[in-house]
Amino acid sequence: MGEGRSADILGQPPRAGIGLRHPHYAEVIEGTPPLGFVEVHSENFFADGGAALAVLHDARERYAVSLHGVGLGLGSAAGLDPWHLERLAALVDRIDPVRVSDHACFSRAPRGRSAGAVHANDLLPIAFTPASLDILCANVSRVQDRLKRPLLVENLSAYLSFADDSIPEPQFFAELAQRTGCAMLLDVNNLVVNALNIGEPDPVSACTAFIDALPGGIAQEIHLAGYSGSREAGDIVIDDHGSLVKPEVWRVYEHAIARFGAVPTLIEWDTDIPSLDVLLGEAERATAVMQGRA
Amino acid sequence: MTGPSWQAEAERQRLLVEGILAPRADAASLPTRESGARALRGLQAYRVNAGASAERALAAAFPTVQQLVGTENFEHLAQDYWRADPPTRGDLAEWGAGLATWLAAHEQLQAWPYLCDAARLDWALHRCERSADHALNAESVARLGDTDPSRLAVVFAPGLAVIESRWPIAAIHRAHHDGASFDELRAAIDAQRGESVIVFRRGWKAVFADADPATASWTRHLLEGCDLGTAIAQAGDGFDFTAWLTHALASNWLKEIRVLAD
Repeated sequence: MGEGRSADILGQPPRAGIGLRHPHYAEVIEGTPPLGFVEVHSENFFADGGAALAVLHDARERYAVSLHGVGLGLGSAAGLDPWHLERLAALVDRIDPVRVSDHACFSRAPRGRSAGAVHANDLLPIAFTPASLDILCANVSRVQDRLKRPLLVENLSAYLSFADDSIPEPQFFAELAQRTGCAMLLDVNNLVVNALNIGEPDPVSACTAFIDALPGGIAQEIHLAGYSGSREAGDIVIDDHGSLVKPEVWRVYEHAIARFGAVPTLIEWDTDIPSLDVLLGEAERATAVMQGRA
Repeated sequence: MTGPSWQAEAERQRLLVEGILAPRADAASLPTRESGARALRGLQAYRVNAGASAERALAAAFPTVQQLVGTENFEHLAQDYWRADPPTRGDLAEWGAGLATWLAAHEQLQAWPYLCDAARLDWALHRCERSADHALNAESVARLGDTDPSRLAVVFAPGLAVIESRWPIAAIHRAHHDGASFDELRAAIDAQRGESVIVFRRGWKAVFADADPATASWTRHLLEGCDLGTAIAQAGDGFDFTAWLTHALASNWLKEIRVLAD
């Protein structure tokens, strides 16, 4: 059993975790580096059997495991896919994860006016409207009822937003949490990406204001990652999880830890995956912030 | 949940998905706060990601098809297929069941007449590798000695499949993955040498074994639910059931011998 969930119980200092990805399976399982937890994408382990699932069981013997979904489409007006929810429930039963999370996004929509729903396999932006909140609440409640545990819902990086958005995003999450009992997975990199893409003159201040507008205790996990592109280049910034955490993201993260305490923190790296040492270095830096050493 | 406001959200979401799947990027009809070039850049970010996801998912499931048509053609093929038959599940490893049939109807791919069967083999291997782990119910094998074969059915290991082709699909696969001779492969294709294989899992890895026509037909009948007595009768005198059973047990092809309900 790793430190993760038991860390609080045993009074051990909190440690950050990393996303467990295929190139590092053997090194993490055999080396068991000190990590607060490991996180995987739930959908990568939906198969009935096979090598990946065996690796996840091995990881679970060594660490607390967090299941992070990318496919529920919690904001989909078309509703949830029952198949997806049942697969997730089966995986939760198998792994007994420390946390289960997904995104405040939509993925499923009908194609044409009469066809069944297609799955975009992407995290598509939802509107911040009362109707969108109703849809999200209904779907989150359905997942929590099925899993019999609270869900963590992550704020999105979005490349498009909607003209009729009427609820500020922190208030949207506060109401979601209040109505459903879910918590928030605060993705600090997504905050910064959005601030850059909407042209905030001071992105760090905009992000810290966002965090200050959230209710205390709502954030139960934090994600850190890298992005690509820059506003100076005249293009949009892409949340590609393919590089070191940027300096401004670290600054916002320090503010989030000061606001919410040593919330379990994950280093996400999904493209151009580096050597494990690089990930562990980033996790160590986050751990230092969590432990008040930075 | 219904009502006008819900319908409005559903329509908003439908429009964005249509915009991502459309052959050409056009953000003009999207109800976004962004407009003009900025809206188009935002839409393009999602379209690029969709294309990359399609290619990555299909390349993982259809490595032989990718090698046969080449990386560039495969990229276009994946994006065309994404638009023609988009995923319905949130697990992209589940997407691709219809690719072989779609390929067969794709006129530009007639230069590779064996492509459809190569795709069927790729898909069978992909599915097999994700199938449930299993152990043989050894006690059930004793039913072969004490029960009328017409009351027995063979339950194969999860993921086991048979692929029968009028093209040399085993040779095509081996040439592209195991370093087998392309000269021999070309000769086999020119001769239109048909091959059949049985797909199964060895440990964690999905593999295939060559199957003669009789064994392939036998396996297909059993997979279709035929009882053992009928299958033996259909196989004819030339089929050696004992030799097949020995091989099937040694290869871990079987899950159990099931007694059919009266």
